[in-house]
Amino acid sequence: MDKSFYTIFKTFFKVGTLLLGGGYVILPLLQAELVDKKGWIDSDGLCEYYALGQSVPGIIAANMSIFVGYKLRGQVGALAAVLGIVTPAFLAIILVASILEEIVHWSFIQSIFWGVGIGVILLVYLATKEMWTRSIVDKFTCIIFFAAFILSSCFKVSPALIIILSIAAGIIYRKRITTEKAGNKECENDLS
Amino acid sequence: MIYLNLFIQFFHIGLFSFGGGYATLPFLYHIAENQQWYTIKQLTDMIAISSITPGPVGVNVATFAGFATSGLLGALVATTSVILPSYILVIVISKFLEQFETNKNVRAAIYALKPAGCGLLAAVAVDMFMDNANLPGMFLLAILFFISVKQKHDPLFYLSVSALVGLFAGFLHLTA
Repeated sequence: MDKSFYTIFKTFFKVGTLLLGGGYVILPLLQAELVDKKGWIDSDGLCEYYALGQSVPGIIAANMSIFVGYKLRGQVGALAAVLGIVTPAFLAIILVASILEEIVHWSFIQSIFWGVGIGVILLVYLATKEMWTRSIVDKFTCIIFFAAFILSSCFKVSPALIIILSIAAGIIYRKRITTEKAGNKECENDLS
Repeated sequence: MIYLNLFIQFFHIGLFSFGGGYATLPFLYHIAENQQWYTIKQLTDMIAISSITPGPVGVNVATFAGFATSGLLGALVATTSVILPSYILVIVISKFLEQFETNKNVRAAIYALKPAGCGLLAAVAVDMFMDNANLPGMFLLAILFFISVKQKHDPLFYLSVSALVGLFAGFLHLTA
């Protein structure tokens, strides 16, 4: 199977071009290109990279592409994949942004953007809802959600700091749970 | 030194945003409030356009924000620096894949930072809602919300509907 820099770049470029809307549609696209057409990896592998891509910071589509590219051809593959997935997005925005500067003052464009601005609120709400079902699983995660929400919206704490605090909270909480369980066991042993 | 500043800001976005394209929004929102690179209104426009242009939304918005700040070179710097942390981390993790997946602290961190990322995005949603709290806007939002409850659609669909309503409202001079 041909795994040259150019082929990998071209494959991911195609996926990057077809990728519209939220990042979650990348899974079926990569499935079609990498698993069905090219046979570079299998379905299970792809699902694993999908899960991994979400546990690394940054843009999920880019993370997945780098994972797959690296598996295919090491550093060269990773570079080809990430350039492929990013280039269409970059070019599209440069094109749109250049045109937009010229036409943004027209009044009907302003009206369209007024409407679209409202549409974006719905999109952000839907994205939040989607994340909620994926991430809030118990009381602790629910507390973290509201803590992050309040720190951000009422106290304007920087998002990076909130993320760092939540990581610390998560690690401490898990440690305490495991020590408590160990403590309970000792207690049971003493009783029996 | 605008480019160095761009690099630092977008590198830290790439390093701390978890949970997909929209997860970068709280950071971009924070930048809009603290650096005079672009306004909240411009950011909203960027998000709308990024949702209907090819490519991952996170990359689109980074390119856009960089371009708005300082042109083509700014776009290049912002896009590269938002991807760079991913690139470094993924390659390092690929080498220690098994240790990473089974590491207790990594699991605990992911377990806690996912809801935090969700909370940050919810804060953005509320902020945006407050900024647009006028009668015609809320009316349109209510319609869109009702449509989304009845059936799930593509982002493109919601944005087309809202663009059309915006155009129509513009003719009636409701969008002031």
